[in-house]
Amino acid sequence: MAPSRTSTMKSKHATNKSGIRNSKTSSKPQSDGVSKSKKPKSKGPPPKPQKSAGSLATLKKKRRVYTEKELDIPTLNMITPIGVEKPKGKKKGKVFVDDRESMMTILAMVNADKEGQIESKMMKARQMEEIREARKAEADKRQEMRKSKLDEAKEGLRKKRKRPTGDGDGKENTRSEAAAGTKPLKLKKKSVSFA
Amino acid sequence: MRPLTETETQTLFAKLANYTGNSLKNLIAPLDNGPNADRYVFRLHQSRCYYVRLSLANLATSISRDKLLSLGTCLGKFTKTGKFRLHITALPILSEHARYKVWVKANGEMPFLYGGHIVKAHVGRWSEDCPEHQGVVVYSMNDTPLGFGVTARSTGEARRLDPTGITCFRQADCGEYLRDEDSLFATS
Repeated sequence: MAPSRTSTMKSKHATNKSGIRNSKTSSKPQSDGVSKSKKPKSKGPPPKPQKSAGSLATLKKKRRVYTEKELDIPTLNMITPIGVEKPKGKKKGKVFVDDRESMMTILAMVNADKEGQIESKMMKARQMEEIREARKAEADKRQEMRKSKLDEAKEGLRKKRKRPTGDGDGKENTRSEAAAGTKPLKLKKKSVSFA
Repeated sequence: MRPLTETETQTLFAKLANYTGNSLKNLIAPLDNGPNADRYVFRLHQSRCYYVRLSLANLATSISRDKLLSLGTCLGKFTKTGKFRLHITALPILSEHARYKVWVKANGEMPFLYGGHIVKAHVGRWSEDCPEHQGVVVYSMNDTPLGFGVTARSTGEARRLDPTGITCFRQADCGEYLRDEDSLFATS
């Protein structure tokens, strides 16, 4: 079988070469001829060597089966970035929540969250209110103290003014005057220092 | 038209919970005790969220997306950043389950319905113990829901406020049905 076919091939080549066609067209049938020549070669040998060849092929195939990770090939720039990996076996697209139970759980979670937020807000508001109240009370107290001090001073002045009018003695008068004189001075000094 | 995803459901509920109390769970409760009882569901259609009966939503699947304008009650819109904006159309649902309320006097109704905030002089009464920046539903004195907003002050602070001070920032009012007539139900 084989020799006869090879002969036919030869004849084909001969026809091509002998033909008046261009080199390009002639090259194509040449390649065809080669591929055809391979086929009969594989078919040609007896069954035993064929089997051995088949086993060799399988061995080769087994060796060739490597995953890309095993090979440690440096990653190249691809359409999808290196870091992004598509999850396998997962549903593509969005996951909807439509059953009542899961909606209820989400609702309960959200409600608890909001409840906590409102509670904390209220606590904060109450604390602020307390602080404000305390400050107000303190300010009121201070004002009261100042007022009472002023009243006392006024009273003292009035009394001292009344004394000299009641008593006719010069010494006491002078003393009181001196006291009266010193006191306003002191007051003045105070006012200056405040200013 | 599609159901909401988990994150969308969460944002929607968080928004609704601003205005409502625990009774919000009645929103998704089945209508009766039967095994195949009808219930209300949320459906997203062209970034708008609708609160609709399940049976109606199933019927609506027979209408093509571009031809379907609206179904059920429109609650609001999902923004492109994933936030949720409540529309005035959600008012009936909010008012049913409202937690904090503000009643507006008759002289304050029109200013509110024209888009103004609520000043203290217009407040008839309000829920006690309301914190600052809390969602409230606004009613007229005869308990007609007019809109909703956010408190500007807590109840205690608002008491000390002068009459022209703002107590509640408007978020939506019934006047929008007229003012935003063109955009409220438009699909584009």
